[in-house]
Amino acid sequence: MLLGGTISTPPASLRDEDLKSRGFLLRRTAEGLNLDQLNSVFVAVGFPRRDTAKIEVALEHTDALLWVEYEKTQRPVAFARATGDGVFNAIIWDVVVDPSFQSCGLGKAVMERLIEDLQAKGICNIALYSEPRVLGFYRPLGFVSDPDGIRGMVFIRKQRNKK
Amino acid sequence: MLLIPTSSSSSSSSSSLLPQSFFNSNSYSSNHHSLFLPNLRYPILHGSRKLKTLRLRANFWESIRSGFVKDNNTTQLVEPPSTIEEDTEPLVPVEFTLVERTLQDGLIEEIIFSSGGEIDVYDLQGLCDKVGWPRRPLSKLAAALKNSYMVATLHSVMKSDSDSSEGDNGQKKKLIGMARATSDHAFNATIWDVLVDPEYQGQGLGKALVEKLVRALLQRDIANISLFADSQVVDFYQNLGFEADPEGIKGMFWYPK
Repeated sequence: MLLGGTISTPPASLRDEDLKSRGFLLRRTAEGLNLDQLNSVFVAVGFPRRDTAKIEVALEHTDALLWVEYEKTQRPVAFARATGDGVFNAIIWDVVVDPSFQSCGLGKAVMERLIEDLQAKGICNIALYSEPRVLGFYRPLGFVSDPDGIRGMVFIRKQRNKK
Repeated sequence: MLLIPTSSSSSSSSSSLLPQSFFNSNSYSSNHHSLFLPNLRYPILHGSRKLKTLRLRANFWESIRSGFVKDNNTTQLVEPPSTIEEDTEPLVPVEFTLVERTLQDGLIEEIIFSSGGEIDVYDLQGLCDKVGWPRRPLSKLAAALKNSYMVATLHSVMKSDSDSSEGDNGQKKKLIGMARATSDHAFNATIWDVLVDPEYQGQGLGKALVEKLVRALLQRDIANISLFADSQVVDFYQNLGFEADPEGIKGMFWYPK
């Protein structure tokens, strides 16, 4: 590995064999995914704990998903999924990495492969909603916020139309 | 994503309604915007057809709680107030009449909302052509519709006074609007492709379309309803109860062109 003059280069993406050699298994289906354990990862990163039956429904209607299993514990430590219409648009949701396993390239590994999978299906429009503190995670992956002034909007419940 | 063209084009309903930049790629630009001009001004009179429609503003609706207004122009509104209050509002029926009006030549026009997803893909392509969207392959359009969780449509049905009680005989049904949502059936739904026929814009139909779609989604217990709005339509969706960048959360796109 060449050290001189490469300090500012971002770390190279983890290849599948890199992950395997470090004890991480890449999974592309929900088979073998323990939803309670997944829920715990959600909670660990600050998401609300959800009804696992609902998570199951959501996963059944998900276009693509990827998760990383830590071989030693057989638990999920990273996850991301995408929904959409299967031809034009996809939105990526629930991108999580267990706090104990963050900062070692797992989130990036999951995202890169998920995007690859979506592209392989011919989907050109890949979007997501990012919390402000992780914009810096998505930008190096190729995501742009508010391109051309497009804004992400969410319906706020229990609000009267005041017009 | 939802897009409103610059308002100066409102008087020429057949002009291109998309900023040129959106035609320059075949990636996100063609896939997720709607063309809608919700300026809610009084409509242009076309030819000999005298069409008087009413602005669908919330306070106006509240002022006609009885359900309809009768005036010389015989425009009847059959739709209750358009505020989105999911707890108290009645269930959105799959199909119902939004507006019914009598035209000068004795024809009756009904605008029918449906969330049943019955849509002819050729009609949709024709509508996309009318609003000036770049063409997308029919097979992909069909697949996108099939894979959508909910497809809401507006159809115009014309019938003459004499056969209003009969079936399809003499009725002309035309697709004039559509909006669809993708979803994981549990937590999130995202609205795409909201469009209204230019000849029917400016009447609040797009607003009604989105409103009913949102209500139908809420009634299916989808807690998170999102969309991507072009800068010119952010206000439009704000008025429907959407908030841009809630809590600083930003919409991001992968290598948009």
